[in-house]
Amino acid sequence: MKRWMIMLMVLAVALLLPLSLDPQGYWIRVLTFTFLFAAMAQAWNIVGGLANQTSLGHAAFFGIGAYTSTVLLMKFGISPWIGMIAAAGLGGVAAFAIAIPTMRLEGHYFALATLAFGEVLRVVANVWTSVTGGSSGISVPFSPPSLANYSFKLLRPHAYIALAALVIVTAIFEAIRRSAMGYRLQAIKENASAAEVIGVDTTKIKLQAAIISGMLMAMLGTLYAQVAVFFDPDTVFNAGSISIRVALIAILGGVGTPVGPILGAFFIIPLEELMNDWFSASAAGLSQFAFGLILIIVILWRPRGFVTLFKSFSAKVGRAHA
Amino acid sequence: MEFVQAIVDGLLIGGVYAVISIGLTLVYGVMGIVNFAQAEFVMIGMFVAWFAWAWLGIDPVLAAPLSFAVAFVIGWILQGQLIARVLKAPSVAQIFLTVGLLIVFENGALMMFGSQFRSVTTPYQTMSLSLGSLFISLPYLIAFGMSLICGAALWWFMRSSWFGRAMRATALNPSAAQLMGIDAGMMYRIAFALGVGLTAFGGAIILPYATVSPAVGGDYVILMFTVVVLGGLGSVAGAVVGGLAVGVIQALSALVFPIQLQNLILFLVFIAVLAVRPQGLVGASR
Repeated sequence: MKRWMIMLMVLAVALLLPLSLDPQGYWIRVLTFTFLFAAMAQAWNIVGGLANQTSLGHAAFFGIGAYTSTVLLMKFGISPWIGMIAAAGLGGVAAFAIAIPTMRLEGHYFALATLAFGEVLRVVANVWTSVTGGSSGISVPFSPPSLANYSFKLLRPHAYIALAALVIVTAIFEAIRRSAMGYRLQAIKENASAAEVIGVDTTKIKLQAAIISGMLMAMLGTLYAQVAVFFDPDTVFNAGSISIRVALIAILGGVGTPVGPILGAFFIIPLEELMNDWFSASAAGLSQFAFGLILIIVILWRPRGFVTLFKSFSAKVGRAHA
Repeated sequence: MEFVQAIVDGLLIGGVYAVISIGLTLVYGVMGIVNFAQAEFVMIGMFVAWFAWAWLGIDPVLAAPLSFAVAFVIGWILQGQLIARVLKAPSVAQIFLTVGLLIVFENGALMMFGSQFRSVTTPYQTMSLSLGSLFISLPYLIAFGMSLICGAALWWFMRSSWFGRAMRATALNPSAAQLMGIDAGMMYRIAFALGVGLTAFGGAIILPYATVSPAVGGDYVILMFTVVVLGGLGSVAGAVVGGLAVGVIQALSALVFPIQLQNLILFLVFIAVLAVRPQGLVGASR
């Protein structure tokens, strides 16, 4: 079967899925968040996969995006669509500011520095009450339902917008991966000093990747705000449930590949929901405990992600044909 | 005077930070793994000491060796069964294996002990010595004294014992050490178990002035990383300097800034150090 045929089929299923779920129900919400988190992991993948810099601070951009559009809507009545563009601008600026001191760091050091940056913004958002409302949170003001207002009665349009976001971010990821920039990033990943010697401006390329990733993440923050309707700094700037989870989704799926974040999100998000469903009544912490165990098992079993399952499968099929 | 008082308090607390963080830097120095779950052993050490106090009536400071022993056993098993499998894996797999352990420990404790905060009462809890106009809190002083003893014991172990020397040899060159008849896998197990044991020891000795809950590890994660990065990741001597520095920074920033911003200062110092001197202020030497 041709690649594009598989892609078309997956897309067709994705388009039909929101229609098949109860529009008032619980699972359409799970699906919306699965699309959203897949898109977030894909945005992360530009830095974490292509540039090979494991960021644990992407909640910084996500939170900036959520707050930018919501504050603009609340204080000036600006449509969240325009707010999303403003969010992209601020997310890009933040990514630039974070990249300057951290860009030269590698591996664990980069992970730690970005983790601390995300935490800095969480603390600032909690303290800066005049803009963010502080730890008591912020509500997205109600606007009459319409596409222009980015406000809907039901979740179905949100699911389609999140799906569109996933398709767009994945297309951007794939375009970068196949472009000259993608090959330069690949060269930096393999051997940074060798890339520098043959004339790759490593600083500039890494900076570009970081800014694109930060802008996309901020726009997805706006999407989240419109779906969630209420949030606080500890939710959107959360190191565990945003930064680490997004990185984890991409890593479990297969880091640096376009399908990895999608596989990862469709594994983790529904799994978490199911476990909350099954275990929440029995004991506090049990669902997260089980989640941690599954994470450990998957990492030991497939340190390079679920994508490798397909590769070993197609290798077997290939051998069978030969 | 307020200033001097803050520095004294900072140094006393910083001594404990050093002990808590030495394990993190030791594990990195010997096998190149950054253990994101290290702070969970503060929690484990505190719980062991709390139960020793509640059930057996042992003072938490005296229960510290018990905390060390429990964490040592857990660490030994973890290293042998789990961490050893990712030693050669990409760094993302290492990071996320230890993140998985963090989630398991925190929520395992939540399931077993519930989310409430627990503390101990000791006769010396509110006592302090006065030196002129300076006050030295007795729990701080005791914890600092225990940290000194612990640090000295570690220093002797690493310098003079056969295991310590073998461990340093393994850190420098695992294959050469292996050729000299050193079992590198065994050294990794000892290093990891010792590292988490020290962290748990530190957890026990702070219990007289701190409270324990399953989420307490989260309060120490960034703090521990700041300590080890200040001193140079992998440098045990650096962790001591880093611990004292972080204690003083915290105490001084409490004088100037509101309490909500206290951690912010620490984060900013952390990022600044990483950006300017990622090898640490003391310089990396194993």
